[in-house]
Amino acid sequence: MLRYILRRLLLLPLVALGVTFLLFFLTQRLSPEMRASLYIKDPRQMGALEEVIQKYGLRDNVFKQYGRWLSGALQGDLGYSHSANMPVSQAIKEYLPATIQLAVVTIVLVVFFGVWFGVVSAVKKDKWQDVCARLISVGGFSLPIFVLGLLLLMLFYGKLGWFPPGGYSVSTDVIVHSPAFHSYTGFLLIDALLNGNFKVFLDVLRHLVLPAVTLCIGSFALMVRVMRSSMLEELGKDYVRTARAKGLPEHAVVYRHAGKNAVIPVITLAGIQFIRLLGGTVIVETIFDYPGIGRFGVTAAQQLDIAGIMGFSLMVAVLFVLGNLVSDVLYTAVDPRIKLSD
Amino acid sequence: MDAREDIILSVENLHICFRNGEEKTEVLRGLSYQLQKGKVLAVVGESGCGKTVHALSILKLLPPGGEITAGRILYQGQDILSLSGEELRKLRGAQLAMIFQDPMTSLNPIRTIGKQLVETILAHTSCSRLRARARAVHLLKKVGIPNARQRLNEYPFQFSGGQRQRIMIAMALCLNPSVLIADEPTTALDVTIQAQILKLIKKLQRQSAMAAVFITHNLAIVADIADEVLVLYGGYCVERAEVKNLFAQPMHPYTQGLLGSLVSLKRKEEHLPAIEGYPPAPGTPEQGCPFAPRCPYAADQCRRVLPPLVEHNGHTVRCWWVEQNEISCGN
Repeated sequence: MLRYILRRLLLLPLVALGVTFLLFFLTQRLSPEMRASLYIKDPRQMGALEEVIQKYGLRDNVFKQYGRWLSGALQGDLGYSHSANMPVSQAIKEYLPATIQLAVVTIVLVVFFGVWFGVVSAVKKDKWQDVCARLISVGGFSLPIFVLGLLLLMLFYGKLGWFPPGGYSVSTDVIVHSPAFHSYTGFLLIDALLNGNFKVFLDVLRHLVLPAVTLCIGSFALMVRVMRSSMLEELGKDYVRTARAKGLPEHAVVYRHAGKNAVIPVITLAGIQFIRLLGGTVIVETIFDYPGIGRFGVTAAQQLDIAGIMGFSLMVAVLFVLGNLVSDVLYTAVDPRIKLSD
Repeated sequence: MDAREDIILSVENLHICFRNGEEKTEVLRGLSYQLQKGKVLAVVGESGCGKTVHALSILKLLPPGGEITAGRILYQGQDILSLSGEELRKLRGAQLAMIFQDPMTSLNPIRTIGKQLVETILAHTSCSRLRARARAVHLLKKVGIPNARQRLNEYPFQFSGGQRQRIMIAMALCLNPSVLIADEPTTALDVTIQAQILKLIKKLQRQSAMAAVFITHNLAIVADIADEVLVLYGGYCVERAEVKNLFAQPMHPYTQGLLGSLVSLKRKEEHLPAIEGYPPAPGTPEQGCPFAPRCPYAADQCRRVLPPLVEHNGHTVRCWWVEQNEISCGN
């Protein structure tokens, strides 16, 4: 098992290399002049174009340029993101925890409600509970996330005023950036608790609710469907009949026996969805003005911030490999038949 | 002794249907028998004759679509079909236990067998988990699993087919049930293992004086284990007799055909004897004797009117031919 994990981790640099090189190669399709112009803020300085090209070696062979980027990256220098106005590594450090926080809360909601609705749906197949669960999940699935997000914003901020529209409260911002507030993990929810600052914790939580619910409704439809069909399959199996024949109470038959078996395929799905959330919460982050990494990635792409794009994709690739690894390891925890071979 | 008091399980005029939309298929058409304490009844028949369905119905475990349309199943005089969910749960596993056909799929693959045994005990008694575990070890030893204590923590995939069936047997015996329903418990195993498992079931059944309904398609098994045999054909009981009588003197042409097609090492034959034709598809319309299309003695009457179950020399037989030629079967 340990060897399996190590081997997978050894593959990580290869994946990262492949992804970054492909992207780098694509950015080279832009002419050196175009890329150089990105460094120039003032149109009156266009004369300096050739100077910039020379300075950064933009006319060099692709491999040479990639090599320069790579040697920098290996030393922890991913370049300077002009879209975020800070070094790329610092931007990731600043924005990624917020997104992870959002993704974790979302995936917990998705798995909890997805599994619950899926089980009820399967057990009450074709009854009203099943029809309701299916309607809700199909509705959530077919409603575009930006429409849903805006609707929720209109209702819970505009009409009811229960939740804030976005951005942390000024007081929270002040406290968080004050020297008295120690940033232990970078995750504000945890840091707030560690600092014993309950007000900040609540404020951060309140800001998490709407984006998390929006993301959750969007992705839990698939979870319900997978769980429902997996559960229906398990409920028809012989061991479930054995469990009933032994005289186990029905809830034990459904949850302890069929449910545990049915949840196995859900783990893969949850893994994939979690990674997708990390790289793809852009729309939600934009709607709710949430300071996450997705927004950084999109701004970088829009502004042709090559260092930013490279850094962002490198991060997504690494997270993808790690996420898959985690769901593989989780498998072995749930299913004793699966042993990760060395 | 008073036979009525001794009856532990009694099935009365059991009809079972499978519903597929509007379409109804009758698979069991009025089965009746009585099982006495400590006795073994073998229910024999070909695939599709309704034997497994009848076994499942005793515990109300019919798959979706299956329903009991008429009849009663009495356990110690109490109608199982009228029990509430909780009353039924208390009966299952504790009083009426079941062993299934396929040990490979009948155990939960991701639960240790220890947990699966312990939860059975805990579902019916209020003893401590530790006591239940000790009992599980004891049971595993009893069914012949070596290293029982260690193996309690293993998963079904770590056991062979024969061992899994032993575990299923241990699970069925957890609470000393008074009736064991064994649904083709050796069909999925290879022949040498079959004999071991049969021996084990027989031994345990004798030890605890448990009554058993033994479902099988294999007549050779029956001779060894059963007290009484019931032959099912096309959803009907066609013959019922003490095991000795049945083997010595099969009356129904179908039973004769079944016994005639047993392979013997003494006989040297080119071809295996077989009953010509095929069993009726489940749900074939009721008209005449179900065996008539394959019966060498079938007369006009057989094809038109269903024969009644009638007693002849200790056999209960459903056959016009036997009725008319009682002499040929009697002595």
